Amino acid sequence: MIEGRLVNLRAPDMADLQRNHRWMNDREVTRFLGGAARYVMSLGAEEAWLRERCERMMSFDNVFFAVETKDGVHIGNTNFFNAGPEDRRAELGIMIGERDYWSKGLGTDAVLTIARFGFDDMNLHRIILHVFSYNPRAIACYRKCGFVEEVRMRQDMFHEGAYHDTIVMGLLRDDFRRLEEGA
Amino acid sequence: MIEATLVRLREIEESDVDRYFNWINDREVTRHLQMRYQVPRLAEETWIRGRHSGPMAFGGDMNFAIQTKDGRHIGSVGFHYVNPENRKATLGIMIGDKEFWSKGYGTDAMLTLLRFGFDEMNLRRIDLSVDADNARAIACYRKCGFVEEGRLREHRYSRGAYRDQLWMGILREEFHARHRGTPSPST
Repeated sequence: MIEGRLVNLRAPDMADLQRNHRWMNDREVTRFLGGAARYVMSLGAEEAWLRERCERMMSFDNVFFAVETKDGVHIGNTNFFNAGPEDRRAELGIMIGERDYWSKGLGTDAVLTIARFGFDDMNLHRIILHVFSYNPRAIACYRKCGFVEEVRMRQDMFHEGAYHDTIVMGLLRDDFRRLEEGA
Repeated sequence: MIEATLVRLREIEESDVDRYFNWINDREVTRHLQMRYQVPRLAEETWIRGRHSGPMAFGGDMNFAIQTKDGRHIGSVGFHYVNPENRKATLGIMIGDKEFWSKGYGTDAMLTLLRFGFDEMNLRRIDLSVDADNARAIACYRKCGFVEEGRLREHRYSRGAYRDQLWMGILREEFHARHRGTPSPST
């Protein structure tokens, strides 16, 4: 268990299946995810996906946490992917699927907690993430965590009948350390 | 076979393996590629054979060999991360034969693949990443019409330091505005 201020990060569990399946079929949630989340998710596909995460040991290139409130309510997931040991860089993903828990600082704390884990335990140098321009709530959250907008891929993402930009944000370890010390 | 001005793009063949094997292990060639280690010959053969499991189709990795008009194989160019919903792809190029650097062959191959992507595959956006200190490549991409969309800070570690990468993109209307009236010779 990795403890944050408002949330804890724990290993995924097959008991999380129904919740994950519900979130992956909630268009209000998946519209911000891209990729296969564009379509709807069968229970079987969700189960296969979760089983793979539950059966593999976590390692440098396989980091996946369930996000829980301090009272033990599972509200979403956060992970690192595309991690490279030479560049010491990983890409961060996060989803708060339980919408009643949006805009309460829990996502921000989850990002800060996994970023701290990445820098202090995995020895990363840099963390990046992709976010769509129609998700200002997430962008504000990432800024609060120290992420800087580095690239704007113009008209990169087709969503609800129009093309939108994809923004790449990056965070360097030194900047994160300064932010944490100032806080 | 796609005809251009200085080059043509063709399928990669098993008989190309010797050249790829030499290029991919030449540190001067791979310096700006996402390749760090040496590649065994068998791995290179497997890679080339894997390309022949079926005809080229939209999606996945699409790689062409670049050949000069007099039949000399000098490198390859292709798309990866081809995405049908967003109608976009990411482009990669390697001129492995160093004699053909800085002579316009790379630019010609790029323009040919861009035209193929926009006019045959119906893509809307093509992008690429490039080391910020690879001035020769950046100049070529600008000439093709790519626009710098941002800078990935300290994104790659090589030659003893963390280095920035640029992200560049081109939209189909930008390509057509710039290269109108220069259809490929084969059309």
